[in-house]
Amino acid sequence: MTAANENLVLALPKGRILKELMPLLKAADIVPEPAFEDDDSRQLRFSTNHPNLDIIRVRSFDVATFVAFGAAHLGVAGNDVVMEFDYPELYSPVDLGIGKCHLAVAEPNDLVKRDDPTRWSHVRIATKYPDITKRHFAARGVQAECIKLNGAMELAPKLGLARRIVDLVSTGTTLKANDLVEIERIVDVTSRLIVNRAALKTRPHDVGSWVERFREVADAA
Amino acid sequence: MTANADQALLPAGLQDLLPPAAAQEAGAVERLIQAFRGYGYDRVKPPLIEFEDALLAGAGAALAQQTFRLMDPVSQRMLGVRADMTTQVARIATSRLSRAPRPLRLCYGGQVLRVTGSQLRPERQFAQVGAELIGSESEHADAEALIMAVSGLNGIGAEGLTVDLNLPPLVAALAERLQLDAEVTQRLRQALDRKDAAAVAQLAGDHAPLFQGLLRAAGPAQDALDDLFALDLPERVQREADRLKRVVALVQAALPDLTLTVDPVEHRGFEYHRGVTFTIYARGVRGELGRGGRYTTDADGGPWEPATGFTLFMDSVLRALPEPAAPARVYVPHAHARTAARLRTDGWQAIAGLVPEDDPAAEARRLGCTHLLKNGDVQPLDDA
Repeated sequence: MTAANENLVLALPKGRILKELMPLLKAADIVPEPAFEDDDSRQLRFSTNHPNLDIIRVRSFDVATFVAFGAAHLGVAGNDVVMEFDYPELYSPVDLGIGKCHLAVAEPNDLVKRDDPTRWSHVRIATKYPDITKRHFAARGVQAECIKLNGAMELAPKLGLARRIVDLVSTGTTLKANDLVEIERIVDVTSRLIVNRAALKTRPHDVGSWVERFREVADAA
Repeated sequence: MTANADQALLPAGLQDLLPPAAAQEAGAVERLIQAFRGYGYDRVKPPLIEFEDALLAGAGAALAQQTFRLMDPVSQRMLGVRADMTTQVARIATSRLSRAPRPLRLCYGGQVLRVTGSQLRPERQFAQVGAELIGSESEHADAEALIMAVSGLNGIGAEGLTVDLNLPPLVAALAERLQLDAEVTQRLRQALDRKDAAAVAQLAGDHAPLFQGLLRAAGPAQDALDDLFALDLPERVQREADRLKRVVALVQAALPDLTLTVDPVEHRGFEYHRGVTFTIYARGVRGELGRGGRYTTDADGGPWEPATGFTLFMDSVLRALPEPAAPARVYVPHAHARTAARLRTDGWQAIAGLVPEDDPAAEARRLGCTHLLKNGDVQPLDDA
């Protein structure tokens, strides 16, 4: 065990969620060093006003991986990410109530009219969530062949990559702009505080008190 | 890729243990078994492969998906390669040793093989060392198993150990009393295993406060027990909770420095357990070092006995141990065979020169020795 690991590490996702998260961090009395809010900064690890708490800023999918492997002790990730990996080492004890959206199946407008989902035995789907998609369709006896994309799923039906997509939907504008219709809601998504199981067990006071603090902040919000 | 490299490739999850790891593992296994023998546990050695139906009976069913199968050309029956040794030891206790006096104390060490590893612990073959205490209902039996596991690990140098105590039958008993249907119970259990507060709230409906209370009743042992006893529990569970409390007291008395946590809803991996269970962690080490708890030797209608025990996973245990110190090893130049033999009886590792050497010190260094025999004396190499 290295000394660097003695500090607790909180993994936060880059981008959209981070803006919504800042007020919660503030309420939990976590103030990152100034470079954290500077988008031009190349720094990846940041100190905070708590000498034994550091923050790392990574892609949202990587938050779950860092925390599952114990490289970070705590993190913030949507339950879409938690469900996709389904790491047994992750706890998600607090619903932070931010980043609200849902995961849905969508297909082109003209397909909806002649489509009968009860007759499906196999579907091809472009998605960032191959595991959730496969499980979702397997549960009703349909085999899903997934094409993994990392973004711009909405292009797939138009260009003939796959007729259906599984993607996050918040307002539905993007779907509409691409002439797609949501046909099924898979799960509602919010951001959760996630915790590494072994970290919570081996440092029950350190990690537990942060969980408690985020719970209070989330309940108050 | 050369032909050589091609042959060196091993299947996923399997590896060659090299020096010094191989010796470290074997030594750790031996010392753990020795420690368990100090408590009067006798070693047993079940076979690597058994008939599938015996291996996967009762408690073994939980490992059916993790078991490699092959066909036995002799008996024409399916065989399973063991994925866990606990069920084998339970089988020995209820069959061949059914007349041995109770409580029966057995220990074991050996390799197991699994169909898949997890992403976090990719090993498919690893060593298990464990002990089972069969035929006692007493909470002193639960405490003995836990204390022995932790003392054994401390004895081989593992540091920063934490033990998490659980009560797997709790959720099922609560669900039964609250008359939740099987599917909701299953999903609720999954949500509780992930400590997914949002899903728990959604699934438990009117009973959400109770289950959320259980989620929060996890943490340092004393606080968690206070929280647990503040809840209104069904009688069957209350008995197990009382036992948990007594086990915590016994363990705290025996090992006052050990960090104990209690998590009443943890259930993963305890599918066949019937009472107090525990998981051993080490600070800064990914994954579990071992787990154990109370079960019954056979659930399939046959004769059954109360039992408790534990298994240590040696791949994780080794990660919690300090790097082994390089052994002191002496180079004995050519034609000093008798001196080499004397040094060995004195406890040295003595490497004998097989051919006359020009510069014994250089040869000793090349072979990684720490000492050299010079002028009839063993001298450290730095000064040689």
